[in-house]
Amino acid sequence: MCLKHSRGAAEPVPPFTSLFLDRPADREATVGTVNTVLGAVEASQLGVTLLSEALMYVLPGAEYAFDIRIDRAEVFDRLAARLAEFKAAGGGTIVDATGMFQGRDLRLYEALSRATGVHIVATSGQGPENMLGGYFLTPQTNPPTPWPAQKFAEMFGREVNEGMVVPRLERRAPAGMICTAVSLEGMTATDGSLVRGAARAGATYGVPVFIRCGSDALAELQLAIEESMRPDRVVIAGLDRRDAVAKGWPLAVAQAGACVGIDHVGSTDPFYVSDAERVALVLDLIGAGHADRIVLSSSATGVAFGEPGNDLPFATVLTTFVPMLEQAGVSRDLIDQILITNPARLLSVGGEA
Amino acid sequence: MTRVNTVLGTISAHELGFVAIHEHIGYGMPGSELDSRWWKTPEERYDETVPKLRQFHENAKPWGAATFVDATGICNGRDVDYYKSLSAKTEVHIVASTGFVGGDTALPFFERASVEYLTDQFVHEIDVGIGTSGAKAGIIKVGVSRGFKMKELDKRIYRAAARASKVTGAPIFTHLAVDCEPALAIFAEEGLPCHRVLFGHADDGVSQGRINEQAILAAGGRIGFDTFGYDLELPDPPFWGRPRQERLDHLLRYLQGGLVDQVLVSADANCSPLGWPGVKGHTVNYLFEQLIPDLHGAGIDDATIDRIFAQLAAEFLTLQPISAQ
Repeated sequence: MCLKHSRGAAEPVPPFTSLFLDRPADREATVGTVNTVLGAVEASQLGVTLLSEALMYVLPGAEYAFDIRIDRAEVFDRLAARLAEFKAAGGGTIVDATGMFQGRDLRLYEALSRATGVHIVATSGQGPENMLGGYFLTPQTNPPTPWPAQKFAEMFGREVNEGMVVPRLERRAPAGMICTAVSLEGMTATDGSLVRGAARAGATYGVPVFIRCGSDALAELQLAIEESMRPDRVVIAGLDRRDAVAKGWPLAVAQAGACVGIDHVGSTDPFYVSDAERVALVLDLIGAGHADRIVLSSSATGVAFGEPGNDLPFATVLTTFVPMLEQAGVSRDLIDQILITNPARLLSVGGEA
Repeated sequence: MTRVNTVLGTISAHELGFVAIHEHIGYGMPGSELDSRWWKTPEERYDETVPKLRQFHENAKPWGAATFVDATGICNGRDVDYYKSLSAKTEVHIVASTGFVGGDTALPFFERASVEYLTDQFVHEIDVGIGTSGAKAGIIKVGVSRGFKMKELDKRIYRAAARASKVTGAPIFTHLAVDCEPALAIFAEEGLPCHRVLFGHADDGVSQGRINEQAILAAGGRIGFDTFGYDLELPDPPFWGRPRQERLDHLLRYLQGGLVDQVLVSADANCSPLGWPGVKGHTVNYLFEQLIPDLHGAGIDDATIDRIFAQLAAEFLTLQPISAQ
């Protein structure tokens, strides 16, 4: 059992009201546009968009390890090369779905976007519980009660409304999505607070919420919906996990109106289904009338510190998976819907692409 | 030859002067950096910090120099390049720590690490340097997670600290002296004599009745009266506060009972807190402004005060590697 698991009871659920949160900033131009690291971009400009990738992944704490050196020049060159490869394959936008505490480096991402012409969307949020710092789990209060949903909602919400943080220094561009995750072994009280907080902030400020599912995807989705989050603004990710497919979660999530994250394309990890099985999954969802609920990504790690990461190129979906879909008879229109229209609709602030 | 690691280089223990053995330039729980409610500009940080250190330097002049031991540890906002600039401009010697305030302040990378890796981390920071700063840590921080009970990760960190202490000679200080039995067992198993360990916060309000002082003393450990100034008489005291006189009486029992050599004393104040409001008005200078007059008032002589704040602290901070048997 994780040492940090909270022993706090789940908090009572207050009726949702955006009165708890600051009013959305008056940015007329943002409706129908997407929050990228370089500012608002028309959703129609995104092109092929991968919703679940990692530019620079840093396992929290690894930045202090005596034997890890993060050479920014080298990181930049490696990421620029990978983004250029993605663009050459027809890619337009990468969403760095690592949230706010696993290596997000806004100044680096801005420079990369300028240098490569690839749109980069950075995200707020954090989780699951065992990825959090002690500030959220054992605060300097007596007793050390873990953070409730409302405080997470405020912190994530400000990252959308006022800009993402460069820790202790400044805020930069608004976040384009809020990412969180639920522990695989089961939702902890703090995992639940993270999901609820992300949903409250997402509902108030119009950005999608991306939840890497734990042991019960539908219950986790239900939590977000209870917080007034529209299901079509939620992505349940990790639905190409072998157990998720076996339990029928992808279809159930789509039937509930939420988006199905098939986000480990190219992975050969036995924890996930194979690409051939992913094709079958996509066909099933299309056959059931849910093409508008499918999002594809590969969870590639451009560079990773503190964990091995993977060597998948960002171009994997375009270069290996799209040909498999075509071979399986998926039309170009449907592929465009999945790779272009669905993510553009999701990332549009307020959801109106 | 005696050697003590400060952020501006290794110096003789004879240069330390008056030592505040457990202090913080600025402490914040890991993750607090994401919450902008605590942010301060660099101007505000220096403005809150420099005058306190300059006053500390002035107050310590009768001892020849002032030494500030920062107990912040890895992941809690430790900022060694900042400490170097503060030390250079105020002449206060600053000793930085490696290690962790407790398992619940170790981020996932370190939570997953083995005893061997943690040992290497601590040894590297003491013998080679912290990050790219070039500054070497002079002491190892360990501690008990919230809940007054040592957790498995706490114990892993204590064991790594014991091994690193033997290799490098750096002393260890703990956050909290509660649940000391597992700690004493680990130090015994690793062959680290307990006079190299300061069991800290033995004087705080919430720990009273939970500390086996006799076991620590019997093992040769040092008792930390190092939260002086967190007085319940303050307008808004923290939850670990304690009545001023009660804490003073606790220390006096040691000083008058022939146990001077087993105590060290400090204030645990933040110059500029990073992830919490801090306690207004509480600074390292409490030691001069309140405590030393209180000690004089209780009949404690200057020789005893010098022994605690200069000689014993210097002896403790001096690097003393213990060769393998």
